[in-house]
Amino acid sequence: MIKIALIGNPNSGKTTLFNGLTGANQFVGNWPGVTVEKKSGKLKYKDFEAEIIDLPGIYSLSTISLEEEISSRFVIDGKMDLIINIVDASNLERNLYLTYQLLDSDIPVVIALNCMDIVQKKLEQINIEELSRALGVPVIPITASKKKGVEELIRFLADYDFAKQEHHIRYSSAAETSIAAFAELLRDRFLAIRFFEDGLKILEPLKLSQEDNARLIATFQKESDRHKLDFDMVLPNSRYDEILAVCGRVLTKNGHDLVSDTEKIDRIMTHKWLGLPLFALIMFLVFFLAFGPIGTWITDWFVKGIDFFFSLIEDLVASLGMMPWVSSLITNGVFGGLAAVIGFLPQLAILFLFMSILEDSGYMSRAAFIMDRLLRKFGLSGKAFIPMLIGFGCSVPAMAATRTLDKDEDRKITTMVIPFMSCGAKAPIYGVFAGALFFGASYLAVFSMYVLGIIVALLSAIAFKKTILKSASANYIMELPEYRVPTLKNTFLHTWERVKGFLLKAGTILLGAFIVIWFLSYFGFVDGTFRLLQDEEIGSSLLGVVGRFLLPVFQPIGFPDWQATVAMLTGFVAKESVVGTLGILYGVAGNAVENGSLLYEPIRAAFTGAQAYAFMAFALLSTPCIAAIAAMKKEFNSWKWLLFTVAYEMIVAYLVALAIYQVGSLGSGVVLSIAFGIAAAAIVYSSIRKFIVRRGAICDSCSSCTVAADCHLPKKEDFQAQIDKKEAKDIDQD
Amino acid sequence: MTLKDILPNQRCRIKNIYVNNLRKRIIDMGLTTNTEVLVKKLAPLGDPMEIMVRGYLLTLRKAEARMIEVERLEDQKQ
Repeated sequence: MIKIALIGNPNSGKTTLFNGLTGANQFVGNWPGVTVEKKSGKLKYKDFEAEIIDLPGIYSLSTISLEEEISSRFVIDGKMDLIINIVDASNLERNLYLTYQLLDSDIPVVIALNCMDIVQKKLEQINIEELSRALGVPVIPITASKKKGVEELIRFLADYDFAKQEHHIRYSSAAETSIAAFAELLRDRFLAIRFFEDGLKILEPLKLSQEDNARLIATFQKESDRHKLDFDMVLPNSRYDEILAVCGRVLTKNGHDLVSDTEKIDRIMTHKWLGLPLFALIMFLVFFLAFGPIGTWITDWFVKGIDFFFSLIEDLVASLGMMPWVSSLITNGVFGGLAAVIGFLPQLAILFLFMSILEDSGYMSRAAFIMDRLLRKFGLSGKAFIPMLIGFGCSVPAMAATRTLDKDEDRKITTMVIPFMSCGAKAPIYGVFAGALFFGASYLAVFSMYVLGIIVALLSAIAFKKTILKSASANYIMELPEYRVPTLKNTFLHTWERVKGFLLKAGTILLGAFIVIWFLSYFGFVDGTFRLLQDEEIGSSLLGVVGRFLLPVFQPIGFPDWQATVAMLTGFVAKESVVGTLGILYGVAGNAVENGSLLYEPIRAAFTGAQAYAFMAFALLSTPCIAAIAAMKKEFNSWKWLLFTVAYEMIVAYLVALAIYQVGSLGSGVVLSIAFGIAAAAIVYSSIRKFIVRRGAICDSCSSCTVAADCHLPKKEDFQAQIDKKEAKDIDQD
Repeated sequence: MTLKDILPNQRCRIKNIYVNNLRKRIIDMGLTTNTEVLVKKLAPLGDPMEIMVRGYLLTLRKAEARMIEVERLEDQKQ
């Protein structure tokens, strides 16, 4: 079976075409190794069969991020028999840049010219035959979103004898001389061009000998001295010149530039004054719909439905007369746990739905554009704002949303700090404790938790960037795509895919975890015999034993008794259960979750103000629930990173709670501890700032760079001097 | 004069690119010598900036724009 790879710029409609090509036969599989998914599916047409591979979008074969590298590696290693290069016809000039790079290789290429509808709307015309002649490869016009031309493309592919294709792209004589010089050493034109553009990095898999490497570097040096222009500009310049010439021949613009719809919408959406309030309003709306009255209403009904369903199962289990531990496993372990997690589903689905709409419409890029300046201060790129905001609702969809970030490292940092944002499940904990102990200042205490979470998240982001994830650049250079009306089908596909991911997780990793926790909390020694426990006996359970055993560890951070410890431990299943467990352990009659004030008395008896505040802080910052950990595992795709993050969050939570409790119990409690927290944060922040200023950004200096010897980039220091000189001259002239 | 100094709705032509960070990406995105650029606007917080280059909208930070040497073009329109 032949392998066909879909390659094109981000946002050029690859995935839509992928769905169109593979249709109902679609087999979507996640490929291991990297966070962003590569999909593969089957195309069947009569007796023609092909494997279609959807790769991450790239602008160029020279890549800056890990997931882009998947695509370019795929091409450079020639892992496919044919490339379908999707070219956005409404943006021909830049899209053809990648096409030209693809045509440097020997891999047969078929061009799918997408978005023909937009071209027509813009009153432009593209001469398809002429384009095909100029590039030397077949060009098939399609409108993937409306499925136009996809059928023709498939029919063409089935009949096309691509083995005969030859590419004959040639560049300016200056560029060609250098390519020839490299090709002489590498004996391959494509590799020579890649080396010209990307340097030795690209040749690593070839395992060249030291001498060959030295010879290549010497040739590179010689060639680069021959050119007046910056050497790394020679080939791109010539390529764009070629493209411009082709565009001039094939593209007819009818009359003057029309003001596009995108431009009209952006006049409002990214307006100097309106941009920010509109952004805030949109974010508020998404939150309001998901977590406000409507979302809660849907959730309530949903939960009622689940409860009804589970009560049926409970009855069924009871009627079967199974052994008590089996029925407990089924009702309390499996379904109790699942109910806690699936209860989130409606709100998650609403969030996913709106995220898809924002993404598909093109507004997400505008949001990043608007927020970039704010987040840059903390070493994050503008795109990190939305995942972090979703984190206030729930970490699970927030982590899924990090996929919109460009760089793997930036995505890691964002994922690592999301749990610090105070999610909805943590709110009842604050409510109960603040209500019990802080009286008039309870709102302030709750609010301060949210602030504490944000501060810790931002400080952690800086710390990660400066230590373990130095390559995270939080770079920002981004295309603003044209606005598009999201199609119903795509929006639901997106939403469904994410919901499905969540359900699968709930059904696998989470199920195992629930069973373990169920075992720990429903089994224990009572009067010397090991047996199944009733709900109210949780104190005697293995978890209770663990809680008592761990109490000395938690005492320094203000946990008053083993009940608090056990409650916190159950919080790892779902933070909601902290309050419920406390209720059971303190022997509160009635449902502590639904009526928090029942817990006020026992909490007042057990906790001091400082202890309660430390408990709240620990609940906020400590390792998130299992659902979030599972989501994190999915995003990292690495146990190492997962364990590191979990450990990091535990340590941070412990240290912060320790500081709050120790300082808070010195003097007049709460006020002092809050003040201390803020002061400590300010001190750490200012010292980290100094550190940043001294160290400078990643590629701003060669002095500490390990690859400086192989780096052919001009030195930034030289540029800075030149620019400064020019600016001084400009000012003089003015 | 650098790209950073060009005001919204002004055109300019790129003379030289001194950007170090992201250099390759900036060139690949079509910002090469002699390319014409129209500055569209600044983000509401004053940074990054939005430009029109080769018929599409690109946004980049002023830090990078400061390292792109340009010459201002007189307005043909308006």
